[in-house]
Amino acid sequence: MTDMNKRVSGAPGRTSWQREAVGFVLGLAVLAMLPLVFTDSYSRHILIMAFIYAMVASNWDLSLGYGGVFNFGHLALFGIGVYAYALLTKLAGMDPWVALVASGVVATLAAVIVTIPILRLKGIYIILVTFGFAQLVMQIIISQSDITGGTQGIVRIPGLYIFDHNMVRDGKIGYFGIALTLLALSTIFLRVLVRSRIGASIVALRDNEEYAISRGVSLVRQRMITLAASAFFTGVAGAFYAAYQRNASIDVFGMSLATIVLSMVLLGGTGTIYGAVIASFVLTVFAEAMADFGAWRPMITAVLIILVMLVYPSGLVGMIQAAWGGLGGRLRRPT
Amino acid sequence: MGALAEILFGGLFQGSLYAMMAVGLALVWTTIGVFNFSHGVFMMLGAYLAWQLVAFGLHPAIAFPLAILATAGVGWLLQATVVRPLIGRANLVLVVVITTLAAGSLIENGVLTIWGPRSKQLPPLLAGNTMIGSIGVSLHQIAIIVVTPLILWALWMFLTRTRIGLALRAVAQNEDASQLVGLNVTALYGLAFAIAAALACIAGIFMGGYRFMSPVMGADPLLKALIVVVFGGISSISGPIFAAYLIGFFEAACSYYFGLYWTPALLFAVLILTLMVRPEGIFTSRGRGLA
Amino acid sequence: MPILSVEGVTAGYGRVTVLNDVSLEAGRHGNVGFFGPNGHGKTTLLRVISGLLKPRSGRIFFDGEDITARSARAIVGTGLIHVPQGNRLFPDLTIADCMALGAYSARARPHEAENREKVIELFPKLAERWRQRVRTLSGGERQMVSIGTALMSHPRLLILDEPTLGLAPKIKDELCASVLDISKGGVPLIVVEQDIEFLLELSSQLYLINHGTVATEIKPGESIAHSEIMSMYFGH
Repeated sequence: MTDMNKRVSGAPGRTSWQREAVGFVLGLAVLAMLPLVFTDSYSRHILIMAFIYAMVASNWDLSLGYGGVFNFGHLALFGIGVYAYALLTKLAGMDPWVALVASGVVATLAAVIVTIPILRLKGIYIILVTFGFAQLVMQIIISQSDITGGTQGIVRIPGLYIFDHNMVRDGKIGYFGIALTLLALSTIFLRVLVRSRIGASIVALRDNEEYAISRGVSLVRQRMITLAASAFFTGVAGAFYAAYQRNASIDVFGMSLATIVLSMVLLGGTGTIYGAVIASFVLTVFAEAMADFGAWRPMITAVLIILVMLVYPSGLVGMIQAAWGGLGGRLRRPT
Repeated sequence: MGALAEILFGGLFQGSLYAMMAVGLALVWTTIGVFNFSHGVFMMLGAYLAWQLVAFGLHPAIAFPLAILATAGVGWLLQATVVRPLIGRANLVLVVVITTLAAGSLIENGVLTIWGPRSKQLPPLLAGNTMIGSIGVSLHQIAIIVVTPLILWALWMFLTRTRIGLALRAVAQNEDASQLVGLNVTALYGLAFAIAAALACIAGIFMGGYRFMSPVMGADPLLKALIVVVFGGISSISGPIFAAYLIGFFEAACSYYFGLYWTPALLFAVLILTLMVRPEGIFTSRGRGLA
Repeated sequence: MPILSVEGVTAGYGRVTVLNDVSLEAGRHGNVGFFGPNGHGKTTLLRVISGLLKPRSGRIFFDGEDITARSARAIVGTGLIHVPQGNRLFPDLTIADCMALGAYSARARPHEAENREKVIELFPKLAERWRQRVRTLSGGERQMVSIGTALMSHPRLLILDEPTLGLAPKIKDELCASVLDISKGGVPLIVVEQDIEFLLELSSQLYLINHGTVATEIKPGESIAHSEIMSMYFGH
């Protein structure tokens, strides 16, 4: 594995627990206040989508940024969450809330399965196999059209409920609340994980495989933990997405979605979790702000992604740090 | 007898297309050590450029070579803008995946804007149909089956028998040492990308001659090329060529016996199994190196 | 006028400075040896000279021309040829390929046949294995390929970075003899070596590179005892 991003921020325990907790609560409070400013259901829809993307991207950062495992099947885990929820609620008649959690479990199991063929692989081969895994999942869904609806997808999936509150009323405030709660839970989970001993051993394995193994870190177990941990909330995000959109389609396995989410991870700066969350917001809002550009929108987005990658190797977090260093005069070392 | 002929023909035909795509991907990987995720877009762009030149009234015999040159130029440009400046980055492979994906998206949407979503078709290399035994095939397909090995042979000769080919193989093995014998590494990187793009354009011309073209027509061939290089090993040119035909035959046999729907799933299953047994592909030796 | 002069070169990687204000000269006649502990900048200095690494400050002149800003490729074109450390330059090329590659530059190409004769004369073993891949050769043979490739580039100055590293004593002696032959053939050499005996035999001028700078210079004509060099290594 290449030594991606040996930044200090990849190492756990740089900021104290207390400071991080305060920052986290403040950030959460700001996000929770947003519905007061954005009262129409369209703006809130954008925010809900940003929360979903943020979950998927930040969990991807766990395997990609911290673990250094080039898992290109991450979006397939999201897709598995989407379809697991759809099938469990619609065909098996499971309660939506139970199905939401069950979908996360299904995605976790899928991640464990995909870990098996990549255990012995390195770098580029992991990209190719996980990419192949994503395609395999998509092909199975397409070929089992009796159950999955094939390329037509599944419609009229049961949504989530809160007592007998109508979820689409009040500008989707119900879904907003659930999405934000899920994102908060996912982020706490990821941050606690990466600051723990397990997180330290994951990073150690990424930065110096031989040394970590010689110090008793198990490559097999650690890779499996990394991928499985990154899968649970990704699957939950998929399930929530299905419940929110109330339909499932194989578009979630497409290259375009994978490209967007991957750019969120890389634009945010790998190995930070927060970077991916921030980049998800920036990109989602940015994409909306450019809605008027029509066909030019994806082209402008593409050019901007390239420019940021060329100019700021460490992504938006690096950009923010550079700006901070320039402003505060306090020298933050560039990576 | 009919079954065998059908599988054989189908395998040769698909194998030709896959080989054409995969070789370019492998060429870039071996020389530069990156995966070009806009390779499928090169194929699509090449087909559209060829279509446009034909639409201008040029004879395909002139239009096609021009399109191939133009696509090669785009390949060169892409290398210079989104790959070369990143060389030396710690997470090069990953960053290049993103920049080439983004560049691909740029080109794809550009094509959509210029030529619109309506399907187009290129003139076939050879018009008409014929019968092989009991199966009907187009002359265009036969032309592809014949022309592909010739092009691949020419590429092989270029890489193994010419000075520039030697230089490309050298860069693939050791960049520093290549500079120290006076090779222009930057130009060779550009050349690798240009050749890969040219090969993708040829594949696009092949495909546009028997199927409708669309801005997303390159996505599936890119995917297949990726499978082929995993299967054949990414450290050589010959490995992917063998693997391309092998996979072509496998697909033809699968779709004959199990139907079209199950073929991709079976293919991926076999691929993953193969990698569990031989993580570096079937036809491969260690290390990077062309030919 | 010296054939090579390095004036006040400072260089490094990222934020690490490896060379600090290095100045030295190599004459037209006689060879120059660099020695000193590992990791103190010898290889970095060679990389700067051959253009693989651009210095942060300082200048390098080859035969009176300023080559500081030139690319490695342009520097090869002037006849300054650097054989890097390690002998696995092109493991999957054959010896014949490597020799053709050595004669790649426009300057070397007209002399290809003549230089090939010289290489075969110097290393007859290579002729026996002409179509074999480099990775299948022994360590000594691989080093011969590396030096042979450089000779194919028609050098006016040849830089060798630890040519005998990791070789068995007998093979090492053979290779040292060949390097002396190259020198007698009229090509001035700059050699980095750990084997002080060999350097003393080969060079008329020695530089001790320590802590990224020239610690001691031993000029032509000054005789020096082995023990003195040893004390330079360890005495500081």
